[in-house]
Amino acid sequence: MDRLNEKQRNKLFVSIIIPIVLYIGCLLMEHVKVSDIPWMISWLQESNDSVMDTYPVFWFAPLFAAGMDVYIEACINIKHGNFLDEKFLMMIATLGAFYCREYSEAVAVMIFYQIGEFFQSYAVGKSRNAISELMSIAPDFANREIADGKYESIDPDDIEVGDILAVFAGEKIPVDAIVIEGEGYLNTSALTGESMPLTVKAGDEVISGCINGDTLLKIQAVKTYENSTVSQILELVENAANKKSKTERFITRFAKYYTPIVVGCAVVLAVVPSIIFGNWVEWILRACTFLVISCPCALVISVPLAFFGGIGAASKIGALIKGANYLEMMANLDVLVSDKTGTLTSGEFKVTTVDAVEGNTCDDVLKFAAAIEKVSTHPIAKAIVSACDNPVMESMISDVVNVPGKGMIGDVGFSKIIAGNAALLSENGVIIPEDVVATKNTIVYVAKNGKYIGSIEVADEPKLDAKSALENIRKEGVSKVVMLTGDSEEAAAKAAGELGITNFRAELLPQDKVKYVEGLLAMIQGEKKFLAYIGDGINDAPVLARSDIGIAMGSLGSDAAIEAADIVIMDDKLDKIASLIGIARKTIGISKTNIIFALAVKIICLILGALGIANMWVAVFADVGVAIICILNSMRMLLNNKETKNVEG
Amino acid sequence: MKKKYKLEDLDCANCAAKMEEAINKIDGVNEASVSFLTEKLIIDAEDDKFEAVLEEAQKIITKVHSSTRIIK
Repeated sequence: MDRLNEKQRNKLFVSIIIPIVLYIGCLLMEHVKVSDIPWMISWLQESNDSVMDTYPVFWFAPLFAAGMDVYIEACINIKHGNFLDEKFLMMIATLGAFYCREYSEAVAVMIFYQIGEFFQSYAVGKSRNAISELMSIAPDFANREIADGKYESIDPDDIEVGDILAVFAGEKIPVDAIVIEGEGYLNTSALTGESMPLTVKAGDEVISGCINGDTLLKIQAVKTYENSTVSQILELVENAANKKSKTERFITRFAKYYTPIVVGCAVVLAVVPSIIFGNWVEWILRACTFLVISCPCALVISVPLAFFGGIGAASKIGALIKGANYLEMMANLDVLVSDKTGTLTSGEFKVTTVDAVEGNTCDDVLKFAAAIEKVSTHPIAKAIVSACDNPVMESMISDVVNVPGKGMIGDVGFSKIIAGNAALLSENGVIIPEDVVATKNTIVYVAKNGKYIGSIEVADEPKLDAKSALENIRKEGVSKVVMLTGDSEEAAAKAAGELGITNFRAELLPQDKVKYVEGLLAMIQGEKKFLAYIGDGINDAPVLARSDIGIAMGSLGSDAAIEAADIVIMDDKLDKIASLIGIARKTIGISKTNIIFALAVKIICLILGALGIANMWVAVFADVGVAIICILNSMRMLLNNKETKNVEG
Repeated sequence: MKKKYKLEDLDCANCAAKMEEAINKIDGVNEASVSFLTEKLIIDAEDDKFEAVLEEAQKIITKVHSSTRIIK
């Protein structure tokens, strides 16, 4: 019972504690005779009956103490034409019970109802707090540099692009920025859920929300707080709760039809037996009891709450889900399609073999290729450059041209060098000897002055955790894992073999990927199975859009990824997907349990209520008690993950 | 134009659902959603009708639950 806000504390006191005191007082007075109280006799009439029997009007004290705010709100709502308000029903029920001389019961029920409402509001408040705590990744302040090398503490909102900021040890990076001075490491766990430190140095980009390690970093803002990663993530998660899952929409539709039906039954219950048996007060009371039982509050609150918790739990492990509906689909994921390079493989190429024809050394081949590849940012170029130990002097290199998708051409000294794929060489009149065999990896062929001199083989490795991650994904019930890539057949086969994937297609252009995915989608059409595609968000936008669930990985939240995908995984750990499926299943499980439980209890109580077996106690339990149980169950989604985080430290 | 507002004093999930349905029916509204858990109202409506839509929305909201206010 921590931190009740003022409103809640007032309510607790006024509507619950005071009435309970008065109630107990009245109960006592039931056993005290009027004649026992001398001072009473003087202003009341003499009687041998108990105080309460003589003056039942005293019962109004606890009743109004407990029910005043309910009655007032009921009347206000009637003024606005809202008759089906729960509070109005409680008013009729309790006043009606009073009329039937069931004083203590009426008061007890009203107090019980207020206790229930109080718990409900407490539970919802706690859940809301839990979610915003999960989201407490936002930085609260920043240190901006002003004259004399001093710093002023400012609100992150006030940061402008270009501001120089200092981030001391242990502080949060306030906005997306570039490091201009300092070297150290960052803790990205708030965003990615991983506690692996990320090393940074001058020139590196850093994003808001990360916590600085031991050293002072001086950074320059590239974005305002509003546009920085943290704000975008918070916004995304908030909006996600608004994008409803099928289950939530079902509940809303259900409540829409359910309410008029129940009201109709209640009216029948009130009117028909009254005509037959008379005794209309009793039947009206029963109808009210009926309506109180039927209130769908339990469902309408607990189901969205479970999804809210699921989305929050996902963001804790660094997976941002854009809508509750995607979480729902993940629970029934059947097919997982993945891009190869950068997703299943590290995306970092390494030179594996260098081959040279007679008259040339491997060293030369590498040297010449590296010289012209130096200006390219392509991962393959980088691999070649880093593999070369004795590079050519800068002044010897000139006229370097990049041929997109094919390779590089340039001059080294007086020689014209070509480095690229087979197509590039043949286009430039270079003949590659027959016996140069295509291997399983990507090959860069090198030519000097129109003659083929050798080749460089590069490969990228599957991610270390990829194989086990895929196994876990299969364990979670995904029946099919498919790899699609634009890379060569050989490279694809090699990677697939190492990862344990049997279904793969290679040498695909983006539109081929879309077509293939459409084919897979058609196969699971109509069943409650879904397809997810994992890619890097930048090149795979069409496929991500076409899939049921588009998942973008890595790039620590690049704008392109966030835009294109339905789920964004902040780092590049594949095992997050298996965890996500687990979270999704748990969320759906909790929702289903709640729905079945609430409906079952309510239907039973409705029948009992109609038959007159259930009294108002049962009614209030069926409404408020059930709601509390369902809400507590939904809260498990939030709290469970909190525990896990503590255990991991 | 799509705008987000915080709602003050929204205690009942049922009310949120009723408000959402009614607001979606206002002339000029493309899409509206009321979230009980985040206490937010999101309205996507035609620019020139936006003011009127917002006023109408508040009226609807008050009718369903008298003390709930849109915070502008």
